[in-house]
Amino acid sequence: MANLLWLQGGACSGNTMSFLNAEEPSVCDLVTSFGIKLLWHPSLGMELGEDLQAMLRSLVAGDMPLDILVFEGTVVQAPNGTGQWNRFAGRPMKDWVADFSRVANYVVAVGDCATYGGIPATAPNPSDSIGLQFLKRAQGGFLGTDYRSGAGLPVINIPGCPAHPDWMTQILVALATGRGGDVSLDEFQRPKTFFSSFTQTGCSRNMHFSYKVSATEFGQRKGCLFYDLGCRGPMTHSPCNRILWNRQSSKTRAGMPCLGCTEPEFPFNDLAPGTVFKTQTVMGVPKTLPTGIDKIGYIKLSTAAKAASPRWAEDDIFVV
Amino acid sequence: MATQVLDISPVGRVEGDLDVRVEIDNGHVVDAWTQAELFRGLEVILRGKDPQAGLIVTPRACGICGASHLTCAAWALDTAWGTEVPRNAILARNLGQIAESLQSLARHHYGLFMIDYTNKKYAGSPFYDEAVRRWAPYTGTNYELGVTISGRPVEIYALFGGQWPHSSFMVPGGVMCAPTLTDVTRAWAILENFRRIWIEPVWLGCAMERYERIRSYDDFLVWLDEASEHANSDLGLYWRMSQDIGLDKYGRGVERYLSWGYLPHEDKYNRPTIDGRAAALIRKGGIYDGRDDVHLPVDESATREDVARAWYDESGVVHPLERVTAPSDHNAPDFAGRYSWATAVLHADHGRMETGGLARELIAGGTHGEAWQHVDPLLLDMYKRLGGASVMLRHFARMHELVGLYREAERALREFRLNDPWYIKPIERDGRGWGATEAARGALCHWIDIEGGKIKNYQIVAPTTWNVGPRDGAGIRGPIEEALVGIPVADPRDPVEVGHVARSFDSCLVCTVHAHDRRTGAELARFRVA
Repeated sequence: MANLLWLQGGACSGNTMSFLNAEEPSVCDLVTSFGIKLLWHPSLGMELGEDLQAMLRSLVAGDMPLDILVFEGTVVQAPNGTGQWNRFAGRPMKDWVADFSRVANYVVAVGDCATYGGIPATAPNPSDSIGLQFLKRAQGGFLGTDYRSGAGLPVINIPGCPAHPDWMTQILVALATGRGGDVSLDEFQRPKTFFSSFTQTGCSRNMHFSYKVSATEFGQRKGCLFYDLGCRGPMTHSPCNRILWNRQSSKTRAGMPCLGCTEPEFPFNDLAPGTVFKTQTVMGVPKTLPTGIDKIGYIKLSTAAKAASPRWAEDDIFVV
Repeated sequence: MATQVLDISPVGRVEGDLDVRVEIDNGHVVDAWTQAELFRGLEVILRGKDPQAGLIVTPRACGICGASHLTCAAWALDTAWGTEVPRNAILARNLGQIAESLQSLARHHYGLFMIDYTNKKYAGSPFYDEAVRRWAPYTGTNYELGVTISGRPVEIYALFGGQWPHSSFMVPGGVMCAPTLTDVTRAWAILENFRRIWIEPVWLGCAMERYERIRSYDDFLVWLDEASEHANSDLGLYWRMSQDIGLDKYGRGVERYLSWGYLPHEDKYNRPTIDGRAAALIRKGGIYDGRDDVHLPVDESATREDVARAWYDESGVVHPLERVTAPSDHNAPDFAGRYSWATAVLHADHGRMETGGLARELIAGGTHGEAWQHVDPLLLDMYKRLGGASVMLRHFARMHELVGLYREAERALREFRLNDPWYIKPIERDGRGWGATEAARGALCHWIDIEGGKIKNYQIVAPTTWNVGPRDGAGIRGPIEEALVGIPVADPRDPVEVGHVARSFDSCLVCTVHAHDRRTGAELARFRVA
């Protein structure tokens, strides 16, 4: 039996909603089949009244083990570092996070807000929001670079806006069933098993990328979204096209450019004028190139791709 | 009996976490205050940003009704830019909105609302054992079914938008997708599955066609008595147990209701303007005044925000586009002064308004609007026959929309013309726009003001803001505050009745009740209500 406490800071509850869509395993499965005791969750928990208060206190005191702390949302520090703009149970949520992080065996940050700051930390970051161990790409965050949970691990970051339900439930099951040692993390503390491949890996528009056939505007069945519509699929790490969303599709399959929401910089360019759904280019070459390709290589590749492009590439291949 | 104070925290996340304070005297609530406890400042973030930034930021205002925010953000830009929106795109946006609402109906009902019926307070009810068997969290037969099935409608959203929550597939000029026959067929199959697994066997105990014949309170009572399958369905048991435990007796509220209306008709809103919207909607908006039994049209220009009791360094009663959103550094609760991040939203002529499923359904009973628009007389008849709003009627109204929305989803799938356009590229320009819809929990709208190719001002008024706003400058209580006054509280250590009222408004998330002795200030109890 693993005790799990889920708290929300500067959050929209999107990760909770995503979590509830989980199927393999489902949220009910976590409780009934995988031995997770959900001590409390803002929209699911049943602990009431004095029980909840007493439980929170006994967790902080270490009288009851806190095996897994899940945090959703940013740590709100405004105003002036007090955290008073986000209160929970009568005190700033940031003080609760500090207390629970000292006793938790594992700390899991779900979603972009808890991992890297996400939307609330977008300039001018009015709520002085920060992630648990990062603010955007900068290491440190609310808990500091050196923070380690009881199991000796840093915060396990499951980014995404929101995170995919399977990323969350599968990591939670691993931690609850003694496989925490199998979870290896990358430089941004993301589980490598999910975040080593690219969003583009498995995208149904890959052939159009290869032959440099662009979707020049929305509502088109053919074409790659990278060249004109600002898609970040080739330089974003996620399994969105391997583990499909809601069991059906992905943003890029449905025609929506990847926003790069599993990377610490999301939302990119702080949504400055002219940057939304438009590929930023210099002399026709994208400013941000697919990971690992330099400008010369990109020009060679795209020239060759154009030259080799088969005639069908300009036709719809996804037809009614 | 000593007067006691209960603090409820929080009640919703659209404008942030919400606390509610309730004073109890002689076993009844005598006064109430609602407090929003989280400020993230999305409207501040949007200032100076790309005009389309709202398409990315605002779905993330609320993970629960992100499709509704996206709908508003897209229509706001359409009206500002003067776009042309093809019929396929209107249908796809409507379908996205409906898919999210169908999800929310099942998820809120089982995950948040019905759990209270298993409270030990009701152990004496003849329905209690069956309620626990069906609705107890995690282990109840229909809890698990309901929570799991709630993920299916948003699979349709994923087919058109890529994922739920937090897609941005609706854009000015249309939608990003261009689905094929296989997407439409899959979507249809998912809908059918939702009907055959849950709506008919579990929720209704009958075919949807039978339920759709109910047009009056008498019709409903006939349906309820007609077959044991009806009486013992989750709806039948909900109705009978609600009456048994007295939920038809309290939670009245402000008795004035507002809806922006929603679901623009695919052939009537292709050149969207703010003024042309009301006459283009399948489900009409309006105002219903329950005291005088009057239906009236509604106009966004009458919206006002009053910040007198909210934590902003602003003053006055202004139209949302006149706001500057200046959060205060001093947000200690002062119940005689400022005590919430939510503003008091009101109608310039008619004051405080309740929004949500009950508001929509009371307005659907009116004879105002266009002759072709959706009319449903059931809830208005029930409202009059049952003596006004209550916890039971408010939640029933919300769930009643299930079958009608299902039909609208079916219609959208039938009406798609797969070889016609889904998007018409617009020309970006400066201007003001307004987009609105009805999230499952009520009236939502966005205003945008674009100047010099960037956002000058972006303002959101969410259903939660209408419902859980604090007092206004005149001291008038907000709708939930008002609905709490007069309710019984049998056990101040477990005031489940407060939870029923808060949840009947479909508050976004957690509500924790802290009970205090009014005289000593000692905390008596704290519990979760949503």
